[in-house]
Amino acid sequence: MFERPHRDTLRKGLVAAGFLLIAPNCIPAPAAPFDRVSSILQQQCSSCHSDRSKTSGFSVSSVESVIAGGNKYGKAITEGHPEQSVLVRLLRGELQPRMPMGKALPAADLAVIEDWIRQLPPSTNTRETEWRWPFEKPVKRDPPSVKNAAWVRNPIDAFILAKLEANGLAPAPRASKRTLARRVYLDLVGMPPTPEEMNEFLRDESQNAFEKLVDKLLADKRYGERWGRHWLDLARYGETSGLEGDGAIGNVWRYRDWVIQAFNSNMPYDRFIIQQIAGGDEHSKTRNNYVPDVQGYIPTAFLRLAPWDRSNLVAAEVRANYLAEITSATASVFLGLTLGCARCHDHKYDPIPQKDFYRFQAFFNAVQAGPPVTVPYKDKALAAKAEEQIKYYEHLLKEGPEKKELDAFEQELLKKLKAGKAQEAQGKEYTKADLRLELKLPKQRIFTAAEQEKHADLLAAANRTGDPEEQAALDAYEEELMVRLKAEYAKGIIDPAERFEALGVEDVRREAAAKYSGKSIFTLEEKNRHAELTGKLDILRRRLQRWKPEVVAVTNVAGPPTGPDIAPTRILIRGNYNQPGEAVEPGFPSAITGNFEPAVLETDRYRQFPTRGRRMTLAKWIASPDNPLTARVMVNRIWQYHFGAGIVRTSSDFGKNGERPTHPELLDWLAVHFVESGWDIKAMHKLILLSNTYQQASENPLLKGPAGKADEDNKLLSRFPRRRLEAEAIRDSILWVSGRLNTEMGGPSVFPPLPADLADFARYGRTGGLMWEPNPKEDDARRRSIYIFQRRSLPLPMMAAFDATVFSESCERRSTTTTPLQALTMMNGDLANEESVHLANRIVREVGTDPAAQVSRAFELVLSREPEPDEAAQFKKSGLSLESLCKVLLSSNEFVYLE
Amino acid sequence: MRSRRQFLFDSYLGLGALALADLLAADALSAATVDAVNPLAPRPQHHPAKAKSCIFLFMEGGVSQMDLFEYKPALIKYAGKQMPKAERTEGELATFSAAPNRIIPPYWGFKQHGQSGRWMSDLLPNLATCVDDLAFIHGVKVDNNNHGPAVYHTLTGSQFPGSASIGAWVVYGLGSENKDLPGFIVMGDRRGATIGGAGVWGSGFLPAAFQGTLFRNGSTPIVDLNRRPGITESEQRKELDLLRWMNERHIADRTGTSELEARIASFELAFRMQSQAPELVDLSGESEATKKLYGLDDPVTEPFGRQCLLARRMVERGVRFVKLLHGAGPDRWDDHGAIQERLPVHCQEVDKPVAGLLKDLKSRGLLDETLVVWASEMGRTPFDNNLTTDKPGRDHNQYGLVVWMAGGGVKAGATVGETDDFSVRAAGEVIPIRDVHATLLHLLGLDQNRLTVLHAGRYKRLTDIGGRVLTEAIA
Repeated sequence: MFERPHRDTLRKGLVAAGFLLIAPNCIPAPAAPFDRVSSILQQQCSSCHSDRSKTSGFSVSSVESVIAGGNKYGKAITEGHPEQSVLVRLLRGELQPRMPMGKALPAADLAVIEDWIRQLPPSTNTRETEWRWPFEKPVKRDPPSVKNAAWVRNPIDAFILAKLEANGLAPAPRASKRTLARRVYLDLVGMPPTPEEMNEFLRDESQNAFEKLVDKLLADKRYGERWGRHWLDLARYGETSGLEGDGAIGNVWRYRDWVIQAFNSNMPYDRFIIQQIAGGDEHSKTRNNYVPDVQGYIPTAFLRLAPWDRSNLVAAEVRANYLAEITSATASVFLGLTLGCARCHDHKYDPIPQKDFYRFQAFFNAVQAGPPVTVPYKDKALAAKAEEQIKYYEHLLKEGPEKKELDAFEQELLKKLKAGKAQEAQGKEYTKADLRLELKLPKQRIFTAAEQEKHADLLAAANRTGDPEEQAALDAYEEELMVRLKAEYAKGIIDPAERFEALGVEDVRREAAAKYSGKSIFTLEEKNRHAELTGKLDILRRRLQRWKPEVVAVTNVAGPPTGPDIAPTRILIRGNYNQPGEAVEPGFPSAITGNFEPAVLETDRYRQFPTRGRRMTLAKWIASPDNPLTARVMVNRIWQYHFGAGIVRTSSDFGKNGERPTHPELLDWLAVHFVESGWDIKAMHKLILLSNTYQQASENPLLKGPAGKADEDNKLLSRFPRRRLEAEAIRDSILWVSGRLNTEMGGPSVFPPLPADLADFARYGRTGGLMWEPNPKEDDARRRSIYIFQRRSLPLPMMAAFDATVFSESCERRSTTTTPLQALTMMNGDLANEESVHLANRIVREVGTDPAAQVSRAFELVLSREPEPDEAAQFKKSGLSLESLCKVLLSSNEFVYLE
Repeated sequence: MRSRRQFLFDSYLGLGALALADLLAADALSAATVDAVNPLAPRPQHHPAKAKSCIFLFMEGGVSQMDLFEYKPALIKYAGKQMPKAERTEGELATFSAAPNRIIPPYWGFKQHGQSGRWMSDLLPNLATCVDDLAFIHGVKVDNNNHGPAVYHTLTGSQFPGSASIGAWVVYGLGSENKDLPGFIVMGDRRGATIGGAGVWGSGFLPAAFQGTLFRNGSTPIVDLNRRPGITESEQRKELDLLRWMNERHIADRTGTSELEARIASFELAFRMQSQAPELVDLSGESEATKKLYGLDDPVTEPFGRQCLLARRMVERGVRFVKLLHGAGPDRWDDHGAIQERLPVHCQEVDKPVAGLLKDLKSRGLLDETLVVWASEMGRTPFDNNLTTDKPGRDHNQYGLVVWMAGGGVKAGATVGETDDFSVRAAGEVIPIRDVHATLLHLLGLDQNRLTVLHAGRYKRLTDIGGRVLTEAIA
């Protein structure tokens, strides 16, 4: 990590230069007399904690060094609070090891030290005093009073307006009904209204017309697909492990569907948290043979989504990286804490010692990231469909055309292999490979069935165990048989070449796939064809696999008595898996709790599952109304997706390096309100959407010209912030307006076609599988973007051009960049061009051949409005075909910007 | 307003005041004050440096250093014997070297070349004639002994996906000189995808504008570059004119429009790119002698030769960073087995093209302002890796990577670091890959400490905990 000059350093510099002569936080030494304390500490502690020896980085040589503390616990003194001070707690034996080592400090001496601490003025450390806000519980203060009280529709408006007024500003006028409808459709369901929906809303002149629309859209199933996608960004959702081979993360689409369903069913956010962190970590509810709800495993895929290096042979390293990743992700996604910065050393900016990282990680130490678990489909229709699909693919794999074609080709290759091997072997001495072939012949010519069986057993044992003794036994037996083999072959009664008849299709496959064998019996063309035919079956196998009721998830290690207990969590020095340090217990971040106490773990009442409860303990603490961060972080995220930026703009970093909230009181009000509402996400949407703040126009006439400087970055929300749509919303909207969106929900992911020349490149070498697959059905390619297969090594170029790559780390906010590649994809890409044609066809179907009516309909469909006269004239004048006109509209700024 | 926008269209040069959305760190430490309208506008170097652009040659799979660049007589002496215990290695390599193994000698001769008298393998006869232009770095260490993470570590500074690639950092720092071409171009091996996928040229936590653009073989180097069949240039121009009219009308009564303007300009740039990029990849103007120099006349050297020649044409046109990937799938430099048959093929494919590139750049006076870097994600072991085949090969060695650099600002003929007698790991100072990154940035005029971005609570930089600029390799 790179450290920039600390603010303290700067301040010290300024003080030294005499710029800050009077500053309240520069009062130097504590007033209480240190002399007596000093003599006690010198006497008891200085043999280990002098400036010279400085064991554990702690020295008692001066006031400053005593306050500063040592490496292990950091600051030793909490001014005014002896009971919270690390030094006292060590002396009392509340923290280990009890000091002074091996004895107890006389009570009188302890009292002197405590008195001294009690009299110390509050800390002068800016790090402590400045950086408390996100760690204190939010308080719901009354909304401020404002001059223009008529504008306040709900408390949000009061907070926003108060700040605008304080800055001499006024909000923008209300957006037009048309603008508002388009805004809220794009915002909540990710595509524009149809002209009919728009007209219905415009016709509704009732007071609560907009509220009715909001309710309708929140109940629309497309809402979960839109807002679920936001969550998938945070959850670093990908369907492959990335890195070598980029293999699939088994059936993780079921997590994606779970997220969509959770948003659509308005699952309370506290439950949403608990299920993802602690699904399956529940306790026994009965004394005997309690079977936990396996559905709980699906959401825990949240803890399995990180890239995964399956080729690394050093298990300890893989494990350390895995645990560190889920620790960092959990803290940043749910708590807005950059705990990950403390993996290798204390956080450089926030009050997070390294120890806290590992204490947090210890909650995950029972986690087992094993193979996919079987979780039956809850949805009956889906279960039926899955069953049907599985049968279908099983049939194809057994006797479908692809299978038959491969079988025939392999038989052909087998002949060639037998001939080739026989030729290669000519004139060469017989080896063990020949012996093994002879022993594989269905009808033994030299050896007895008992010998054949014995050899097979020894061979299997040696291969399975890799044990030198087993190997030696095999070697010895083979030596023995070799002698007879050579002798029999030498007699000339049986034809040695016939041994190659023992070669089978496995040998064909091995030969065809051999990477390192140099010259081969097969030609490159034959190898390629074999790979292609195998690839076809591989795709069928993958499709079959995707429908199986399995999902990648986390489970717990069994623990005693059936298995070893949970391994202790150790601080890893400099984050290195090879340098374990002190052992720690599961515990919550000390910045929030104010101490390093181990968490009280919920243990299984009936002791059936001794390793359960760690994740549940953490999850419940995070999802607790008392947690100062959780609700703030989530309401801020909801705010961000509505307004393009959060009240805290760095929405996964509430730390010192993050941005300060623009409206801290509003954030706190919303956070408390959210918890009071029962963590009701849809209610939070509604509150925000019905505010006048949200319903402002995106231009504020008061801010035209030089006055525009007043709130240039719109941090005060003097207007609705215009923003570009995300890649998914752009693609979905194009398909929606062309009338070709396949609205089917859920199920295994789909593969929109890659641009032709990229598809070829996407082949992972000639012996690997295909990185991108054809779809079972043509219209699968036109499903919503959330259903596109998320391959980490191969994001769709069109999506990546609009900043939607497949995330490997949690992404709290998409970037919005503008590049010529985006323009190229709109000008020449398949999607924009093909859908322009379909849109044109749709228009002809709907309004006939009158050019003016066509243009009018095109504007309505694409931009949710009629063309202005000058636009109609310009379009007519251009002489472009209807397809081209459609493409122009789909490429326009007005289409891809929400306002 | 109108005239300013006009200027933007014509020049596509940014005007200072348009700060890119608050995604970019508005921090005094970040090198780049990036323009929303043209994020690739050239930006000044942090310190004067000769190299203006970089060609990064990446050999995927793990190049065997002791068969190409490190002459180790001990390997001949101990051939077939168990490797003496390798000290100070961790993880997989410690396991490998402790297990029964046998030393494989280099199967090819070594000779001394050039003024510097550097030993080079007979497998690289053409590159051997350039040794006096190269600076070698030995005993470079990456943090992981497997391809995926090691590729990421070498190309993005972190073994985990999600970080910005070297090229993205460089373009973030310096922008690019050619306004009609991408600033960071990647050319892959036509035989298949790289093991890391798009992430190894991605922009990670930097804005997407800095990601590498993948050029493919053939006349359509960029996805969607070509006009649709049947659409003429003038028809397309008409569409774009109408689009521009629409977009300008849209902007007219709006404020805070820099992003909208950038999007208008991007269509104009894309339109120009349609003619610029094909011109770039059209080699008909190159002389036969030049084509021969790169080996375009031989089917074995043609694929990489073409990419090397294209790389020269790119830096000539002001593209800031060009990354070439060689080796894919089974054709990677991952010679676990049959090294005797495989390694000569890899070498042959790149030897002449790379030497041709160096010579061509030099003769055109471009080598002084171009940094050429050769790297792989790891080295290999001196001993066989016990595959059950009678054709020996070498295993992965995260401690044994050799990197060489040539061109702008590089001290020609220099050698930094050395490995032990068995080429297992550095004999003296271990050189972590971040030192190579720090040096690369330095040679391009960038200071690793000033090229930062705030992400997830940290000021991220390419060199993570900070690398040593290898001054021994700098002229």
